[in-house]
Amino acid sequence: MTRPVYILGGYQTDFARNWTKENKHISAMMREAVEGGLGTTALDPTDIGVGHVGNFAAELYTMQGHLGAFLVDVDPAFTGLPTARHEAACASGSIALLAASAEIEAGRYDCALVLGVEQMKTVNPTVGGDYLGTAAWYEREAKGVQFPFPKLFGRLGDEYDKRYGLKDDHLAHISAVNYANARRNPKAQTRTWYMSEEHARCQSKYNSVIGGRIKVTDCSQVTDGAVSLFLASEGFASRYAQRRGLALDRLPRILGWGHRTAPLAFDDKMAESADDDYILPHTRQAIVDALSRAGLDNVWDLSAIETHDCFTTSEYMAIDHFGLTAPGESWKAIEEGVIDFDGKLPINPSGGLIGCGHPVGATGVRQVLDAYNQVTDQAGEMQVASARKVATLNLGGSGTTSCVFVIGR
Amino acid sequence: MSVMVRRIENVVVLGANGAMGSGSGEVFAAAGIPTTFLARTRDKAEAGRARAQQMAKAESVGKLIRVGSYEADLAAAVSQADLIFEAVSEDLAVKQIYFEQIDRCRKPHAIVATVSSGLSIAAMAAGRSDSFARHFLGIHFFNPPNVIVGCELIAHAGTAPEVIAFVDRLLADVLGREVVRTTDTPAFAGNRVGFKVLNEVAQLAAEHGVLALDALLGPHTGRAMAPLATIDFVGWDVHRAIVDNLHANTRDEGHDAFALPRYMAELIAAGHLGTKTPDKGGFYRTDEAHHLALDPGTGRYRPVSELAVDPPEFVQEMKRLHRVGRYRQAMAVFAEAKGDQADLMRRVILGYISYGLNRVGEVVERPRDVDRIMGFGFNWAPPSVLVDVIGARRTATLMDQAGIPVPAVVIDAAERGQQLFAEPQVDTGRFFFA
Repeated sequence: MTRPVYILGGYQTDFARNWTKENKHISAMMREAVEGGLGTTALDPTDIGVGHVGNFAAELYTMQGHLGAFLVDVDPAFTGLPTARHEAACASGSIALLAASAEIEAGRYDCALVLGVEQMKTVNPTVGGDYLGTAAWYEREAKGVQFPFPKLFGRLGDEYDKRYGLKDDHLAHISAVNYANARRNPKAQTRTWYMSEEHARCQSKYNSVIGGRIKVTDCSQVTDGAVSLFLASEGFASRYAQRRGLALDRLPRILGWGHRTAPLAFDDKMAESADDDYILPHTRQAIVDALSRAGLDNVWDLSAIETHDCFTTSEYMAIDHFGLTAPGESWKAIEEGVIDFDGKLPINPSGGLIGCGHPVGATGVRQVLDAYNQVTDQAGEMQVASARKVATLNLGGSGTTSCVFVIGR
Repeated sequence: MSVMVRRIENVVVLGANGAMGSGSGEVFAAAGIPTTFLARTRDKAEAGRARAQQMAKAESVGKLIRVGSYEADLAAAVSQADLIFEAVSEDLAVKQIYFEQIDRCRKPHAIVATVSSGLSIAAMAAGRSDSFARHFLGIHFFNPPNVIVGCELIAHAGTAPEVIAFVDRLLADVLGREVVRTTDTPAFAGNRVGFKVLNEVAQLAAEHGVLALDALLGPHTGRAMAPLATIDFVGWDVHRAIVDNLHANTRDEGHDAFALPRYMAELIAAGHLGTKTPDKGGFYRTDEAHHLALDPGTGRYRPVSELAVDPPEFVQEMKRLHRVGRYRQAMAVFAEAKGDQADLMRRVILGYISYGLNRVGEVVERPRDVDRIMGFGFNWAPPSVLVDVIGARRTATLMDQAGIPVPAVVIDAAERGQQLFAEPQVDTGRFFFA
């Protein structure tokens, strides 16, 4: 039996911001997220024992590495703070969370700061697409390819089509739901953007194909953003709850986690899963691990899911891999409205990556912060009624690294 | 008594060829409401429709828009509309001609709104039927409406409360707007507070120079675009219409700041209207080889490269601190910098805070309303954000030293030691540009 890890809250920057237009350095984004988190949690900087930063590619986008060290700059009390930066492509934020939670479980520290951050609007889309290609097997899959990731996730759709059949209209519904949810999210990148299911269905001048079956409306956007989250041991959380006049069981915990890695190249993944019911069996296993560690019998014990919809096909994959339907039947949950905001098991009440935005290294932390806000009834207009347990799924690469958390009380 | 259930299922936009008409029409159509674009000719209305479709980047928005001309289609379109949105030219006499026609053919419960950026709502309703007057109000979107979500809702004394409440919900819930209610006073809230600053800077440019002023009061003081560049973007003719209206019809501590500088009047007469007249320019102009800036003393343009001097060290220090997110420290530099230029910078910014918050009670109900329209409409640091970042006590002291009236809410915040800005979901750092 491992020691519990509590979540005390955090802060998300407004994902609609363009920090290059503001002429800001990446450290400004980190500072705002940390200061914002200290503000919302009312933690004292001296409480923080360790800092973990999740980031994918600041060296490429901003010519800046060694991001952990910028935490020390945020507050004089952070001088000497042990820090590290973690990278696993789009799952970098979750990896930072796993590292921090492992240290709490091990009893090394009582309170950990986790920060996910990515500044991406520093370069044009073609150059940015090439940088993102380093999350695939670059020489085999991305070198010289314009926008490699839409093509890879288009192939995930093609694989569904081949094994089980897939209608693009179902993908359009996923996009429309995420955009509609994002309109309720005051921090979402697309909260004021136009979207309709009809627009998402049509291939047109304004909704052109980016790669394979992936159109503009199937994609998450290039986003700048940072998210902080504070984790605590039982002892620290007890004192924290007491100071705030709360019972300890009012504070959410990481109830379960899953973490698996598949082969890097998409072809190798497909070859490995050729005879499997699940197209991404390692992702499925990460979900099973997390639900089992959380003591959940099945997915319907969850109140909501924040999943990794970097493209509509990855959310389509999440629906059957979470077990909302039998493998290959995600379309049934879509047609029955299960994943809608007022559905039986809403997916991405925040708007997800497509609606809220996808600052790559921040996404895993953002998902868990949104899960925290749901289970503490602080999600505002995004609130799912009586949310008790919420799961997150964060992917790195083309379904390569899979990280899952179950957050709840 | 039955409660009327209102629905907006059909909108008509007049003046749909212009920037505000087509942009406002896009907002309605993008919310899924069938909208008819009217202009002098069907072709002009069609151009507006194409522009709206381009703004939404979606053919499905274009499909919701029908087009027509005033002569052929106004009567029929207005007679079916639930909301008639007027965006013709900013001229009371012209607007009244259209309102008279609308009054004759609108449905009894149809709402009529004007996008006017500052004319009197009551004057526009004068002479119309009781029903028209009860259903008439101002919806002031900011340009471009598909991007800038701040908007003002202005009723006149005769607007039915039910209509005001309904339009407020429509704007906020259906159209995703950040709505601020203002009184029917000249230029409403945003333009009154914003153009006081812009025109004051234009006045000061006569003595201190264009580049020096834009450098001193640029993005580091809490705005996306420097003030004189903003006037070029708005258009000098529009600027003149707004400040002339305010100078003629307001009497308060900002009155002198609304006098259009003589050099601007002369250049407007010679056709200098800013960005929209690229050959003549405004404060700035670009020819084949150079980026040029105006010398207000001579009316001539000279290359920026020849005129530019490094901004004062305190400006550079503020930018360095903003760049790494140290906004409080940057504003401490703002507060402590020495010299005439620092005094000038503080005079304008503290004057903005003071003038904005002093309109509470006259133009808007709460400080929050001024903050929202300046933040969401102008993309300027809201007055309360500046007070919080500078510190309320220090703000009051600096205002006293500069002979600027200290708003009651600033004194109150200083005494209570409380933050003034009350929008927890807004990143205040986004208003400070490095």
